[in-house]
Amino acid sequence: MAGKTEDYFSYTKKLFDPSRINEKPEVFKGIKVLDFSHVIFGPVAARILAQYGAEVFKIEMPFVGDLWRFGVYWGKFWKHSSVCFHFVHYNKYFLSINLKSAKAKELIYKLAEQADVVVENFAAGTAEAWGVGYSQLSRVNPKIIYLSCATYGQYGPLRFFPGWDLLAQAASGAISLTGYPGTDKYYKLPDYLGDYFPGNVGALSLVMALYHRKKTGKGQYIDLAQSEALMRILPNFTYFSITNQELERVGNTDPTMAPSGIFKSRDGKFVAMAAATDEQLRALFSAMGQKKLMAEYKDSFDRLHPRNARELHRIAEEWVSKKDSIEIVNLAKEYGFPVAEVMDDFQLANDEWRRQRGSVIAFNDDMYRKFVLPGPSAMLSRTPGRVKWLSRPLGYHNRYILKTFFKLSEEEIKKLEKERVVGYWDDRPGIKPPVYYDIEKDPIFNYQVDGRGQTK
Amino acid sequence: MSKAKDKQQEQVLVRYGISRRERQQFLASMMSPEGKPEVLSDILVLDASQANFSGIIAASFFAEFGAEVIKIEPPEGDPARRMTPYGAKANGVGIPFLMEARNKKYLELDLETAAGRKDFNKLAAKADVIIETYPAGQTDNWGIGYRQLSQANPGLIYIAITPYGQYTDRAKEFRNMPDSDITSQAASGLAANIGDPDLSPEPYNWPFRAGAWIGWYTSGLEAALGGAIALTYKANTGEGQMIDVATADAYASLVGYPVFIGYTWEKARPRLGRHDFTLYPYGFWRSKDGIVAIAAPRDHDFRALLKILKLWKIEDDWRFTFDRITDILEQIEKLYGLIEAETVKYTSDELIKKALEYSIKAARSKWRGGGVPIIMKVPTPSEAMQNPHWKIRNSFQEIEDKKLGKFIIPTNFIKMSESPPRVKWISCGIGQDNRYIRQKYLCD
Repeated sequence: MAGKTEDYFSYTKKLFDPSRINEKPEVFKGIKVLDFSHVIFGPVAARILAQYGAEVFKIEMPFVGDLWRFGVYWGKFWKHSSVCFHFVHYNKYFLSINLKSAKAKELIYKLAEQADVVVENFAAGTAEAWGVGYSQLSRVNPKIIYLSCATYGQYGPLRFFPGWDLLAQAASGAISLTGYPGTDKYYKLPDYLGDYFPGNVGALSLVMALYHRKKTGKGQYIDLAQSEALMRILPNFTYFSITNQELERVGNTDPTMAPSGIFKSRDGKFVAMAAATDEQLRALFSAMGQKKLMAEYKDSFDRLHPRNARELHRIAEEWVSKKDSIEIVNLAKEYGFPVAEVMDDFQLANDEWRRQRGSVIAFNDDMYRKFVLPGPSAMLSRTPGRVKWLSRPLGYHNRYILKTFFKLSEEEIKKLEKERVVGYWDDRPGIKPPVYYDIEKDPIFNYQVDGRGQTK
Repeated sequence: MSKAKDKQQEQVLVRYGISRRERQQFLASMMSPEGKPEVLSDILVLDASQANFSGIIAASFFAEFGAEVIKIEPPEGDPARRMTPYGAKANGVGIPFLMEARNKKYLELDLETAAGRKDFNKLAAKADVIIETYPAGQTDNWGIGYRQLSQANPGLIYIAITPYGQYTDRAKEFRNMPDSDITSQAASGLAANIGDPDLSPEPYNWPFRAGAWIGWYTSGLEAALGGAIALTYKANTGEGQMIDVATADAYASLVGYPVFIGYTWEKARPRLGRHDFTLYPYGFWRSKDGIVAIAAPRDHDFRALLKILKLWKIEDDWRFTFDRITDILEQIEKLYGLIEAETVKYTSDELIKKALEYSIKAARSKWRGGGVPIIMKVPTPSEAMQNPHWKIRNSFQEIEDKKLGKFIIPTNFIKMSESPPRVKWISCGIGQDNRYIRQKYLCD
């Protein structure tokens, strides 16, 4: 066989080499995205296109800005910015323009003429009322791909209901699945998964729509409901329709595998362990030194019955409690059954493997300097996603876009500023630059067309 | 004012020649998949995943967008067929497998044998996308890895899904460890952030598994998304590529929080039980008849909540977002208690009605900034399904099959006006399409 001489892992190491990502091509180079969205759901969809090379214009109200600029964990701003905002807005251009003014609308329509994609996630109908809905922008540019994100979608009786990730989790039924049965302990899915997951689904729909446009030349309107995207991942509806029973909270275990659970090891660490197949269960029993047990649990459907699953869970729990976590991981590696230590935030941020892989990136930004953020979980060998810059203060790219894209002169921009059509930050953290940063000397913020300051 | 607005909206709709009332119906028909082209109608996908739902899920997304997806299994079938809640099954097939058996074809092919690999090679020469979940390097050893297949088929997109990926030392060290959803959740920072706070009794303060396949679904979605991006590149240049998905990354890479909080805060977040770490109130409260979810985190939403709960007297202490930061548990539990003392006085329906009435009044008043407190009963999935909203949006599809019986699956999760994804059929017999596939792709 060809190429057999080289070891597989040294081949893949060269294929995926994270240090060479910036030399590789970008898929969506030249694609322009108008991003009217805010908070997480919509912005994530637009950001994924930016990650793979699209130019995304994030449009915000002057002096107000995106709500999520202030969405900080425990009130902690980082260098006058929100770290959560950085993650959903990297690689974007920040244009702060007052959509309510006629002049701004003129500019936006001009931008829409050349844009390929529009993303918004206001309550249904809001974008239309503001004159930037699909019906208006598709008139300006019939080839446009327009993604409307909402908790309940654009039609149907619930469409006007406002939403947060919590409500999407509730409306889809996902919220009642995590917790201890028979208690009042409910946990929601953390970290706004109810925004991020549908946001990624939105990105998938955009990529597909772009693909379709490439084939047929047609743009389209996409109506993405957060709740429906969450419903798509739940087996509960199908389970209910077949068994007539509710599949509710299941405790700290996976009802599709036995044994499975998160257990405490002798050294006080938490270890997730499962046996998903006969082969894996056999491996687990071998590691336990209890091969004989396999005869008892050989039927893969029968062992999932709560009575058997409970017993297997007990056996696994007892075994883990008598071993150190490292022993269990080593046994799992040797015998071949799934085990993982529970990783917390700090461990994840500092994990050597993730740094090598490029799924945690120590990024050096011009404005915010060192920041550690996650890379993609899907690594593309030829056209990888990348981080080019973090989010920027409100209106940071105003001058850059107005001069390069709209070819406005400095005087015209000054006039727009005076009329408050475009604007910048005020003194609040979240929208202003970090305290150490000299914004007056910034070549992009004070963009000059004559080439001075075109360092980037 | 409102009349002018109405007029403006009417003008918007004039384009379609319809009135405001008809807009809903118009949108519904605009989004209907019937008679519309499929995005990936000319794409062939081979799904050779084994005992790993990430691959099956990724293949489903391709199939829903119209690709021809061939699920390749050994004669005894993919073990994933037997992963199902409490052993529930329909005609011998587990429920998750049934639910993901969308628009797929089934070929019996044992990649462990030389004959099977030969056929696979032939198929791969015609395929656009391959999905596999074997241990890293396994297919390469067999001579059917990306390195070999891409020589005959340079446009091939090869998606490999494993717990720790295809490169790095750890990937090599852990290559024989199989994948599961619960280990993906644990390794990617999800489990560590669910559960009761430290001082609660054991085992409630342990890390906790999310009650759905979050690890596998995020990996599957990311794989499909990566595949779609690679297909775009292939359409532009004709070049394929390899895609490496690590399920131990999935959740952390999707939401980001664990990583950048771990970096900026320099320690791990404690588990907060029912509280959120950014927004408050944003979680669960008890009512007279069960649990309700309340979201009123912005200051004006919070003020509105206090008004409808007749709690205005505490407004002074908790006025700003920064008064309601959840880092000091005692403090926030106090606010939790104050709100709960009121919510238990009402039934969930009463609370919902109060919140709605307030929101509507606030939206109509001249004084904006009235706030939108949202209260919702925590439904079980089957209760959530009953809402007529989903019927109008066709979010669920009833499937009737001679062998499999009658059941419901969630579908139409993306509404697109030109090329929507859709479910055309559900089927899952092992090797049921052998003849069709062999005739179409393996004859020469």
